[in-house]
Amino acid sequence: MMNSMFDDLKRMDKRQVLYQVLSFGMIVSSALMIWKGLMVGTGSESPIVVVLSGSMEPAFHRGDLLFLTNYEQEDIRVGEIVVFKVEGRDIPIVHRVLKVHEQDDGSIKFLTKGDNNSVDDRGLYAPGQNWLAKKDVVGRARGFLPYVGIVTILMNEYPKFKYCVLACLGIYVLIHRE
Amino acid sequence: MSKSNEKMADEKPEVIKVNKWDASVVKNALDDGVKEMLISKRGFEEDYTLIDRRLWICSIAVGVAMFALVWDYLHPFPASRPILIGCVGGYFFLMGVLTLYTTYFEKGTFLVAQERDPAGLDSACRWEASSHMEKFDDMYQLVLTVCDGENQKSRTDSFNRSCGEFIDENGVVCLDLVDSAVDKLVRSLESGKKDS
Repeated sequence: MMNSMFDDLKRMDKRQVLYQVLSFGMIVSSALMIWKGLMVGTGSESPIVVVLSGSMEPAFHRGDLLFLTNYEQEDIRVGEIVVFKVEGRDIPIVHRVLKVHEQDDGSIKFLTKGDNNSVDDRGLYAPGQNWLAKKDVVGRARGFLPYVGIVTILMNEYPKFKYCVLACLGIYVLIHRE
Repeated sequence: MSKSNEKMADEKPEVIKVNKWDASVVKNALDDGVKEMLISKRGFEEDYTLIDRRLWICSIAVGVAMFALVWDYLHPFPASRPILIGCVGGYFFLMGVLTLYTTYFEKGTFLVAQERDPAGLDSACRWEASSHMEKFDDMYQLVLTVCDGENQKSRTDSFNRSCGEFIDENGVVCLDLVDSAVDKLVRSLESGKKDS
């Protein structure tokens, strides 16, 4: 069967090869455009995140998929679950808002803590930072899918697995003629 | 098809061997065989406009997506919002155009060719070949249409045969059997041409 797949490829002329490459490009582009569309629609730079630690159990477990929105008008209230990034670090953290201070002009500073942690998040913030601001927020959790994100965690922990899967998918699309 | 075919006319055409249980591979192999018979045996010139238009639509769509990717990388999210909206909208619009194009315009046509009159007297005839094979069916339908250069009239003929008539047990496409079936169609259309 492997041989017949490559035979098909050898018989393709220039235009068909170009079309195969474009088909691959279109699949990648479709995924990309859906992601960018979600970014624009929800207002968040990362509309779908995976819960990476067990600090929010029993609400969220490691591997759960979260759907976020980040609209300008939304206020951050105590008790809400927000996803934020600490300045200088790339990893999004999913925790609950503990305290909120509001100024007259509408600017906010807030403190977070994971449900399953015994202390608040000040240890996680940047050195000297005691509060978070709206700009650190990636979004507020609006919905979730349990366990679906385990695949993402696996792919990040075993990069070879990720490259292997992507390579196989890529080769299959490039070779298979519709 | 393969470059060695066109170079040496008296060498036997390359044997096409396919996995006979894979329906899409079988249909593609039969299409290739028909194309081979019409182009190299009869000397029709393939007209690439239909395929080229499809390639252009796809290229522009991928280009739009890549532009959005690069722009968003250079100007991180909130700043790039309007461009992203434009690109996403544009991309899905092009996808819609592509789907309409392949469904209504192309319709299974895998070959458009021009037959030039060797004497140079009549204007060229346009031949179109399209094929259809149902999902789990073995019947391969080939539709051949010729559009006369002079009077712009078009005639169509088709055959509906089992693909087992052209492919042997080992999955080899028997080009001579394909040729005889295609030949019958071509002759019936050509004789109609001379009458009118």
